[in-house]
Amino acid sequence: MQRPEMASALKRTIEALMERGAVVRNLENLGERSLPYKISKHNQDHRRGGYFLVDFDGPSTIVSTMLDHLGRDVDVIRPTFLKHPVPKTEECSGIIPVNYEDKLYTKKK
Amino acid sequence: MVATLVVSSRGLGRLQQILAAGKGASTSCAVLWRRGYSSQQEQVSHKVDLPIEMESPYKEPPKRCLLCGINVDYKNVQLLSQFVSPHTGRIYGRHITGLCGRKQKEISKAIKRAHVTGFMPVVYKDPTFLNDPKICDIRHPE
Repeated sequence: MQRPEMASALKRTIEALMERGAVVRNLENLGERSLPYKISKHNQDHRRGGYFLVDFDGPSTIVSTMLDHLGRDVDVIRPTFLKHPVPKTEECSGIIPVNYEDKLYTKKK
Repeated sequence: MVATLVVSSRGLGRLQQILAAGKGASTSCAVLWRRGYSSQQEQVSHKVDLPIEMESPYKEPPKRCLLCGINVDYKNVQLLSQFVSPHTGRIYGRHITGLCGRKQKEISKAIKRAHVTGFMPVVYKDPTFLNDPKICDIRHPE
């Protein structure tokens, strides 16, 4: 895909997001690479593609409508929506040794 | 009370000796009595000598798994490919990777996410990552 086409496709998706009341925080380009497997979409087989990551905040109802919209877009091969990864408490206490003797007998009476 | 004695000049030295001996005996008797009292005091404070309760100083720190403290991301295909079979692309089990429960779950979820989003191949391991350092050895698990 050529650059102006890619730019217009990105512009379309972000405008669609903003129409539905989302606040776009960040747009990252993860580079263009060959896909890990052949993806057939819109009666075409794709082997190369550009990966983009859009950071946005919006209502949860936006997901289904956006998937619908992007499914109809010819330039988009695989749309995916994920939640923001929440940073977990970093208290990894290491591997606690399991007491197998206790597990052997049930505590039921 | 002073005993008045009529002492002849000849037995004076002898009397002095007896008096001195008597005084010495009385003082030594007093010392013995004091010593006995002090030994009783020592027995009372003997209980402080018992061992103090504390955590074993020879306790080893808990074992940490490979990914303790490392953030697992579905975009990090190289890291995820290390826990996948090179021939079939199947995810290795806990007994082979040696990861703790939490991290094993995170890795398997991230791998499945990477499959769906088109980051990682499903049925084989990406050839560019075939020469990575081997973490999981099937032949010698654990």
